[in-house]
Amino acid sequence: MRIRINARNRGFQFDAAPGESVLYAGLAAGIDLPYECATGTCGTCKAKLVEGKLRDAWPAAPGRKYVKPALGEYLMCQCVAEGDLTLEVAKFVKPLEQGAGGVVARAGRLRSPALLVHDVMAFDVELDEPCNFEAGQFMVLAAPGVEGHRAYSMVNYEREARRLRFVAKRKPGGGFSEWLFGAASEGAALRVFGPLGKATFSPGLANDLVCIAGGSGIAGMMSILARATGEGYFDSHRGWLFFGVRKLSDAFYLEELSALRARTSDRLSVTIALSDEAVPEGAVRQWPLLAFEKGFVHEVAGGALKGHYQNIRAYVAGPPPAVDAALRLLLLEGKLTADNIRYDKFS
Amino acid sequence: MTNRFVCRVADIPQNGLKEVEAEGGLKLLVASAGNEFFGYQAQCPHQDVALCEGLYDGSVLTCHMHLWQWDIRTGAPIGLAESPLQSYPLAVEGDSLVLGPEPSAIDVGELFRGLNPATLEKLATLASSESHPAGAVLYSPGDPAENIYVLDAGRVEFTIGRGEGAAPDGFMLKKGETFGWAALLEGYPQRIAGARCMEDSTLMRINGGAAIGVLEGDASAGFTVMRRLSGLIARYLALRGSG
Repeated sequence: MRIRINARNRGFQFDAAPGESVLYAGLAAGIDLPYECATGTCGTCKAKLVEGKLRDAWPAAPGRKYVKPALGEYLMCQCVAEGDLTLEVAKFVKPLEQGAGGVVARAGRLRSPALLVHDVMAFDVELDEPCNFEAGQFMVLAAPGVEGHRAYSMVNYEREARRLRFVAKRKPGGGFSEWLFGAASEGAALRVFGPLGKATFSPGLANDLVCIAGGSGIAGMMSILARATGEGYFDSHRGWLFFGVRKLSDAFYLEELSALRARTSDRLSVTIALSDEAVPEGAVRQWPLLAFEKGFVHEVAGGALKGHYQNIRAYVAGPPPAVDAALRLLLLEGKLTADNIRYDKFS
Repeated sequence: MTNRFVCRVADIPQNGLKEVEAEGGLKLLVASAGNEFFGYQAQCPHQDVALCEGLYDGSVLTCHMHLWQWDIRTGAPIGLAESPLQSYPLAVEGDSLVLGPEPSAIDVGELFRGLNPATLEKLATLASSESHPAGAVLYSPGDPAENIYVLDAGRVEFTIGRGEGAAPDGFMLKKGETFGWAALLEGYPQRIAGARCMEDSTLMRINGGAAIGVLEGDASAGFTVMRRLSGLIARYLALRGSG
């Protein structure tokens, strides 16, 4: 089916397969259509139907609150063409930069699912074809026969990756997450779409690095720190990671974070913020390279960053209240310019 | 035109923001900065997000959704923001804030806003306001490029090519957006795209040669306009990419 997009600055055309989301078909065709979550929540991929017939795959999507159905507006990530379509996108749209190999639908298999803590699971996806992505990007995952698809940030960073590592928090009622924590088994077939997301890090940057993560938002930060450490970024720049959880028993990757700290001496500091309990005795003894503080992650970050806001690039991820509080800190106290704050709204 | 009541001065927190509904139903964001008050469109020009939920430090307003930012004194975009805020100048009358007449499309136009008032007035004298019904063709490829247009209300679409091969080439829908730039350039006497009103639209039409004449009399304004025009052209070139 032929899809025509009339954007503010020009028109685009591409083909979509039966059942394929208009957004995914456009991205796969090399057109940088607007999106953030690509999974129905953020509302960024809003478009207006001009001509043709489409099916809305998820009429109850949370992101529908940003569209006006009476004006024929839809979320492109949830639109499936039922014939040739013309849509209008009231934004400036450009071709995707031809970087790491484009946005592609891939097949993969679930490997090594394992609980990290009671409500967080780590798992790998083994790909049929190797894949390149930027540190901080995410993939949209779906399991055949399981309703819904979910966006997860890559934890690892490597070129020509055959395996992608993810962490997932258990979400009651979340189709994919319920499946992962329940019926999923080693080797299960998965559909993988991406890589997506613009909150990326590359070592060409000349800033000190601040990462503020709540809960499973740590995933993309692990990828960013893996890339930064791998390329010696902390030989010439400072770095701060703040990882917020409720209690020490909710924290994970402390072993991996200690290893990153060991490789970067004191140029990278890693602080675990505990919102719901005092720092247990013995935490520092068990993890001598990590710091622990009581408080919300943005409060702990605010205390540590005082006087260090010059020349900072910040990455933020986590539950929306944690992200909003961190943005407030960085903008109002840190006076960071908006282009030095990177985050993708996909919670 | 008489001033419209907006709200009480006391309703606006010091160095804070509030969304209010002015007399007549227009929703506005009102910001206080020191002893001054500024009125802007209530919704972010990017997506339909209420700007009163944004972050504000008394000088820079940030939309919380995608961190678009503006200078509160001028509404000019900062950083990631791709368009200015539409301004609604406010005045204090006793204990109330009131809204004066709305600025014209030329005053807020992307090429002309903020120029010396005397120059703006000369440009306004050159401009004629025209209304066109939906479907009206403003110009076609090959037509002489004599006039530039500033959109006041409505919506104008562009196409390149002709007949069967005609392809959409974008559209304009915001007050102050400017098209038909070729009329300000040397050596581009003909239209390369077609322009058509897709809704009932109101436009300000300005003869390009006459506008250049005015700008030659105010070299500083001329420089500003040409710098903005270069920026617009560069932006379209960058967005065109390889595709």
